[in-house]
Amino acid sequence: MSALLSVEGLSKSFGGVHAVRGVSFDVAPASIHSVIGPNGAGKTTLFNMISALVKPSSGRAVFDGRDVSRARPHHLARLGIGRTFQNLAVFSHATVVENLLVGMHHRIGGNVLSDGVFFGSTRAREIRAREEVERIIEFLEIEHLRNEVVGMLSYGLQKRVELGRALATGPKLLLLDEMVSGMNTEETEDIARFILDIKQELSIAVLMIEHDMSIVMDISDRVTVLSFGERIADGTPGEVAADPRVIDAYLGGA
Amino acid sequence: MRTGHAVETYGRLLALTTNPITWAWAGALVAALVALPWAVSGHLLVVSTTVLIATVGVVGLNVLTGTTGLISLGQSGFLAIGGYACGLLIRDLSLPTELAVPLAGLITGTLSLLIGVPSLRLKGLYLAITTLAASLIVIHIILYAEPLTGGPFGLRIPDVSFLGLRIADGRGMYYIALIVAVLTVVFVNNLMRSRSGRAWIALRDHDIAAKSMGIDLVRYKLLSFFVSSSIVGVAGALMALQLRFITADVFGLFLSIEALAMLLVGGVGSVAGAILGAAFIVLLPEIARGLLALVGWTGETGSAHVFEIRAVVTGVLIIVMLRIEPDGLIGIWRRTKRYWLQWPLSV
Repeated sequence: MSALLSVEGLSKSFGGVHAVRGVSFDVAPASIHSVIGPNGAGKTTLFNMISALVKPSSGRAVFDGRDVSRARPHHLARLGIGRTFQNLAVFSHATVVENLLVGMHHRIGGNVLSDGVFFGSTRAREIRAREEVERIIEFLEIEHLRNEVVGMLSYGLQKRVELGRALATGPKLLLLDEMVSGMNTEETEDIARFILDIKQELSIAVLMIEHDMSIVMDISDRVTVLSFGERIADGTPGEVAADPRVIDAYLGGA
Repeated sequence: MRTGHAVETYGRLLALTTNPITWAWAGALVAALVALPWAVSGHLLVVSTTVLIATVGVVGLNVLTGTTGLISLGQSGFLAIGGYACGLLIRDLSLPTELAVPLAGLITGTLSLLIGVPSLRLKGLYLAITTLAASLIVIHIILYAEPLTGGPFGLRIPDVSFLGLRIADGRGMYYIALIVAVLTVVFVNNLMRSRSGRAWIALRDHDIAAKSMGIDLVRYKLLSFFVSSSIVGVAGALMALQLRFITADVFGLFLSIEALAMLLVGGVGSVAGAILGAAFIVLLPEIARGLLALVGWTGETGSAHVFEIRAVVTGVLIIVMLRIEPDGLIGIWRRTKRYWLQWPLSV
């Protein structure tokens, strides 16, 4: 099966600091692929390059036959890549429904004039979008929160809304940056279940950065390990866990 | 205690309100506003007209500053462009007022892009100072473009009519302002419940996330400038019609500050708040006069100082508002409403 996303020798230097050096790996369609590594290994920089927020110094990230790392950032959603952020990045003054509708931005269409008039085309578009949003709300089991202002929700629920917003972009690939950090066991298990459902029911590939080893080992199909900006291992969770270089990187080698 | 009401279709879910009581109150308010000129006249009618014009302006400012989070101190400049554009279109080109007012808005919106483009990389205080500088430039251009604007001698607007309503007639002008205010409020409310409004909120709350969700920041910031300034331009046009004689002095710096004060006191980011804020600040001198009369301070001394009192009271109120109620009048309204809706279970 051909890869959905091919990361080909991506590198990024900030001045003399080589944050990411020649990293390559493939993400298969409808798979769960984890990127792990100690703090400062360059995981988030890698993600930011794949989602075009940071321009790579060299290398490419080919998605659907296109180098997305050099696309305009706001085109990523339309190309089929949705993402969440390491720190909370919800629209905290808007409601859950409004947050999800923002995710659908590129799928709604229309212009300011028709939006201001509302009746007619905008109303029809908004109704269609709202139906889709309700499906995501149901999927994530947040029916009771739909009209809550997101900033008032608990951290775990805000993260869930952020996941929903990324799903609302209608992605083929979802980038999740440390989804479960700061969550309790129950919230973590919920998220693990949602990620598995996203892969199995929605056939969306998930590329995730994660520090929580239990979730990585439990649900990943493939794991890429970074250390000091370089790829030191790539394989199934079992292979990676047994790799002496990975153990070195995490425990500090001799 | 009021309980929930079920909504059965997605279309109903999108309605401005599904609550028949809210519709009834909104209807009553519009009816009262329509009937107002038969209840009041003279000075109070002029003040009421001013409230409506200020409402248009602040609802417009709210699009840029409240919804998109771009602070502007340049409202007086945009009002001036709208006012002069409208006046010149009527006086020199003899355009019908019905055409001159919206055109004045579009001209203001288009010119605002000249400020919007360099402002794309600026936020907060830097943007505030940029817009302030821009408004000063506008005022100076108006002052020195004497052959066109009349410069220091001002611009007189002939007594024209708008949809059959004469601008020199107090009632006529009131209804013109009312029509435009209602249209503006409906238009902006519609924007807020559709894709454009949400895109502005998104880029205000988290611009990088907004970008990753597919929102073109450049496009939506400029769009916000355009829509906001077009509405403010229309407010400026209404000011020109109401005053029928404008000079650059009319559009002084204080006007920008006052517009921002209306927004803050009413509640940033809310259309209803903008309306409350505009009404409150415009009516302040009347309120101040009433209060002074209560304590027995009437006559010449009171009314002569009304502008100073207004400035002082306005300043104090803004400080008090920011200290105790950052959500403004609309925040107080929401809390009161929640209290009574849950009575007697409220705490």
